[in-house]
Amino acid sequence: MNTSALYRALALTAWIAGAFSLLVGGILVYEHVEAATRDPWKSPQMLALMEKLAAEPKNEALQNEIRQLDLKVRRDFRRRLALDKSGGWLLLGGALVLALAAGNAAALSKAPPLPQPKSDAAGQSLRLASHARWSLAGVGLVVAGSLLIARLGNPSLLPASEAGWQKLAVQPDATPAPAEDVPVRSEFETNWPRFRGWDGSGAVAWDLKGTPGVLWQCAVPAPGHSSPVVWGDRVFISGGKADRREVFCYNAASGGLLWRRAIENVPGSPSKAGDIPEDTGYAAPTMATDGQRVYAMFGNGDLGALNLDGTVAWTKYLGPFKNSYGYAASLAVWGNNLVAQMDSGDTRAEGSKLISLQGASGRVMWERSRPVPASWATPIVVEAAGRRQVITLANPWIIAYALEGGQELWRAQLLENEVVPSPVFAGGLIFALSPGSKLMALRPDGAGDVSKSHMAWASEENVPDIASPVANGEFVFTVTSGGEATCFEARGGKKDWETNLDMEVQSSPALMGGRLLILGGKGALVTLEAGRECRELGRIQLPDKFTASPAFANGRIYLRGATNLYCLGPAEAQTAKPR
Amino acid sequence: MDAKPPAHDPLTRRQFLGNGARLLAMTGLGAAAGALASRASGAGWVWQIDPAKCLHCGNCATQCVLEQSAVKCVHAYAVCGYCQLCTGFFWPEPNQLTTAAENQVCPTAAIRRRYVEDPYYQYSIDETLCIGCAKCVEGCTRFGNGSLFLQVRHDRCLHCNECAIARTCPGEAFRRVPAGQPYLLKTTSR
Amino acid sequence: MPRRLKLTGALGMLLLAALMICAEQRFPPPDFESGYHLPAPSTPAPRQEWLQYADTGVLLAGLGAAAWLIYAKRSRRGLFWLSVFSLAYFGFYRKGCICPIGAPQNIAYALFNPGYAVPVTTLVFCFAPIVAALLAGRAFCGGVCPHGALQDLVLIKPVTVPLWLEEALGTIPWLFLGAGLICAGTGAGFLICRYDPLVPIFRLSGGTFILTAGAVFLLAGMFVGRPYCRFLCPYGGLLRLASLASKWRVRVTPDTCTQCRLCEQSCPFGAMREPAPPAAQAKWLGTQRRRLGWLLALLPVLMAVGAWSGSKLSPAAAQLDPAVALAERYTLQQSHPVQYGVMTPESLSLQRAAMDAKAVLTAAADARHRFELACWLFGGWAGLVIGLKLIAVSVRPARSDYEPDRGACMACGRCFMACPNERVRLGLMPAAEDPAPS
Repeated sequence: MNTSALYRALALTAWIAGAFSLLVGGILVYEHVEAATRDPWKSPQMLALMEKLAAEPKNEALQNEIRQLDLKVRRDFRRRLALDKSGGWLLLGGALVLALAAGNAAALSKAPPLPQPKSDAAGQSLRLASHARWSLAGVGLVVAGSLLIARLGNPSLLPASEAGWQKLAVQPDATPAPAEDVPVRSEFETNWPRFRGWDGSGAVAWDLKGTPGVLWQCAVPAPGHSSPVVWGDRVFISGGKADRREVFCYNAASGGLLWRRAIENVPGSPSKAGDIPEDTGYAAPTMATDGQRVYAMFGNGDLGALNLDGTVAWTKYLGPFKNSYGYAASLAVWGNNLVAQMDSGDTRAEGSKLISLQGASGRVMWERSRPVPASWATPIVVEAAGRRQVITLANPWIIAYALEGGQELWRAQLLENEVVPSPVFAGGLIFALSPGSKLMALRPDGAGDVSKSHMAWASEENVPDIASPVANGEFVFTVTSGGEATCFEARGGKKDWETNLDMEVQSSPALMGGRLLILGGKGALVTLEAGRECRELGRIQLPDKFTASPAFANGRIYLRGATNLYCLGPAEAQTAKPR
Repeated sequence: MDAKPPAHDPLTRRQFLGNGARLLAMTGLGAAAGALASRASGAGWVWQIDPAKCLHCGNCATQCVLEQSAVKCVHAYAVCGYCQLCTGFFWPEPNQLTTAAENQVCPTAAIRRRYVEDPYYQYSIDETLCIGCAKCVEGCTRFGNGSLFLQVRHDRCLHCNECAIARTCPGEAFRRVPAGQPYLLKTTSR
Repeated sequence: MPRRLKLTGALGMLLLAALMICAEQRFPPPDFESGYHLPAPSTPAPRQEWLQYADTGVLLAGLGAAAWLIYAKRSRRGLFWLSVFSLAYFGFYRKGCICPIGAPQNIAYALFNPGYAVPVTTLVFCFAPIVAALLAGRAFCGGVCPHGALQDLVLIKPVTVPLWLEEALGTIPWLFLGAGLICAGTGAGFLICRYDPLVPIFRLSGGTFILTAGAVFLLAGMFVGRPYCRFLCPYGGLLRLASLASKWRVRVTPDTCTQCRLCEQSCPFGAMREPAPPAAQAKWLGTQRRRLGWLLALLPVLMAVGAWSGSKLSPAAAQLDPAVALAERYTLQQSHPVQYGVMTPESLSLQRAAMDAKAVLTAAADARHRFELACWLFGGWAGLVIGLKLIAVSVRPARSDYEPDRGACMACGRCFMACPNERVRLGLMPAAEDPAPS
């Protein structure tokens, strides 16, 4: 060991440099680890403060708090960058000084080479070679073993063989079904393929002569608030409870049950759903159909697609929904695209989204996040201003998306409270209810934020909070939960008449030709004239409770009550007593 | 004392083999180099983002090998609407139309808002502050004209052989472009 | 009249074009009245082209200087300062990219992807050190490579690595080379760049894993000479092969070797070889010859076994390709859906896959096919490497002098000063006197 002064100096330098490097390295590592766990840009504290500010926008103290926090976050970020930069250089410098000092010290203290006689050089070299060969054999085994482990640890879900790939290629893909299978537009219009009809307006142009009478009724085995949908000679209803959720198909002419199918074993769906409020239940969303399949959404997030003969086409789990009243928005359908509005949460940043699925396969075509909390309105798809628009309502935004691709077209910040009523489109205007606040008419030809520019008119009279409005090109009708029906002029918004029907109403009103139909919660079906003057044309009493809205198809009205499904038609068609 | 080894050794078998191997190797390398050089480009390639494919996911801020990402937001002024309520600058429902922290989308306050004339405001990016997180790009593309977009800044980019961000881009928006034309700028809204 | 028509027509077209552009925009372009001029977006240029050529110039000059320092000047000190310069230039200034270690990947990529053209500078960076190795041994490793220079600087007290360990770890660079070229050729990515532990130190930034790996290599490098070069560098394998056939050999002694054995411990990289021991006994010779025969016969068997094992790896290895990885994630999502946050990178890429599943699956199928062939090749290559190493260990070239192994010698020049003849040449020692009795 060389104890010269130079050696001691070098050794000391090496130790100091080593300690220094260790210190700097330790600081960098600690700060690195700490920063990795706290992402400054997603600070939950900041999110919480912003939510509070949204509730009280004028709170100056809150604003200041946010600004202070933001400044702190930014300062810390800059400091960390500077620390990393200078720390890196310092560490490098320290390490180099350490290396050089230690290297030179080692060189100084190196003993001169004193080769010793080697006894069995040949034998030794042969032994070394033999060891090397065995170790190479070991390496071979290790490599083979690693390949095996790599193979087992990364199982592939893709097909292994050529045949498997061929099979995959044959499966239905994103290309749309052949044109002749997609029902034409007129078929959609004559059937009732979704909540409030093919365009969500709740209106049909034809009318029955005289007061309708019950043609048949049959029991619906499972509870739900969903309205019936009709295609061709079939009526579809969904219903269910926590243990079983089903779709029922009835003969539209006679009311016989054709089939019932449970939607179960949906991949990804937890066996025990979250808390689904009893009042709303599992089957609040109304089904949809595109003439090739029927689709049913349930409150726990199960979405099932069934062929018209009752076999399951596909199922998908879209939940869980975080919804205080329970998920209730119905499905929208256009062509073979399904649109589902999945708003959830109590705040505006909890993952609300609008998704579009391909009906044939359930593949998600696009999804868009929405800056809204939970809502209960159903979107409508309309052709307006030269585009196919999906109109959605939630607090506080009315947002229109392009049906193909999902780009936002326009939005308006005009809604308040818990948005339950769905929008309607008639006479070139979109009518939307801000519950308890306003009935609004908007022009759908805007772009960007049209809150201030595209509202044609608004009225604050008798604004409902549950039932959606109904409109033809001339009039807009609303019904409050207490039974007040109001008629407005579609252009201009002048109130023409209002009347109190003195009954609880949860169903949405409907227009049949020139008649307005309002279905009361206790079973009264009231018909009024859809004109400038208020005239009650008739009233029939059904022995059931109703929350679902009527469906109209092929000259028949279908009503889903708490116990039965009813089919109403012209009184002449009542051949036999109701079953 | 010892003479150096004689200047010209007779060619041993080993040397002959070595010469042969060398010649073969040189020829092979030359052929490979020639074949590749025939379609070689001069200036080389640099990485760039195609704004049409960018999905503004935020990976550019976190995946770059550099601590401060080489990707920054760029503003195509010709496409900008100069709106008072810029959806790339403000949240969709800003508290007020001021530059206060609670109203701004940019987490590092890298966008400067300057009044031009009524009702137009100019928005410009301070690159020393921008981290490339694409929040402003998302707001501008979704609700506005889409004049804000991300680009790789070549005075910062190290031009790695394999770009770490390109590997993780969900839109596959990164591609190699010639170094002579290193930017893919937006000139129209879509 | 015709001119007016043309003008109107032109204006009409302009208006139409403007309208079309405006029609695209949600918010129309403003009409400024205050004389405001639109700024243009800034476009800072990348590094100038001539600087790239300057880099190749520095590389070639460095290789030449290294060769001169090794063979003509025989100066360890010169090589040291040259390597410090290389560390500063190629390491900290150029941040270690582009480097010869990764350049073979670009070549492999270009060979199988007609869409990618290799820049001339990359070609030079890939081939120049190999050409230099064919002439002057591993001059690149000794004086020019920044990775080697960094490790050389931190070497304090080298420890001898036993032969069995050296041989075992020495398979890694070859396997890494094979894997890297295969991933590059199939277009899956550049593994050698991704897993280089020392380049993040040049950049002074990187992920936690790779920075830790770099620190580990440097800490190990304090006691084991050049661990990256000997046990990981894939390019080093190519240089080894090239320098086996090099024109000039690194010699410890400037003239004849006096068998004094003073240089035995002078190589920190385990490259010093002794002269072959006296004529091996007959009984050993027969055994050795038979063993060699068996090993030669074993070689094709190892290659076949390796190729077969490699082919089994292909479904897992293919997941390195981004198209396959996306297809796997998409397929998993169909059966076991995971809720990713909306607009997160994971959900966005799955959405994109869902929109055009057929294209994604087709791309994945193509990549899988490429990987099937590639994994056969890799397996056979691994078998070849192990087989050839077994043979290499069992063959002993006839040596009469102490000299470094051509393939393993890093041309660092540390062994020069261990030789007394070198010290005589430099005038540090008087020449030995003739011991003949008078």
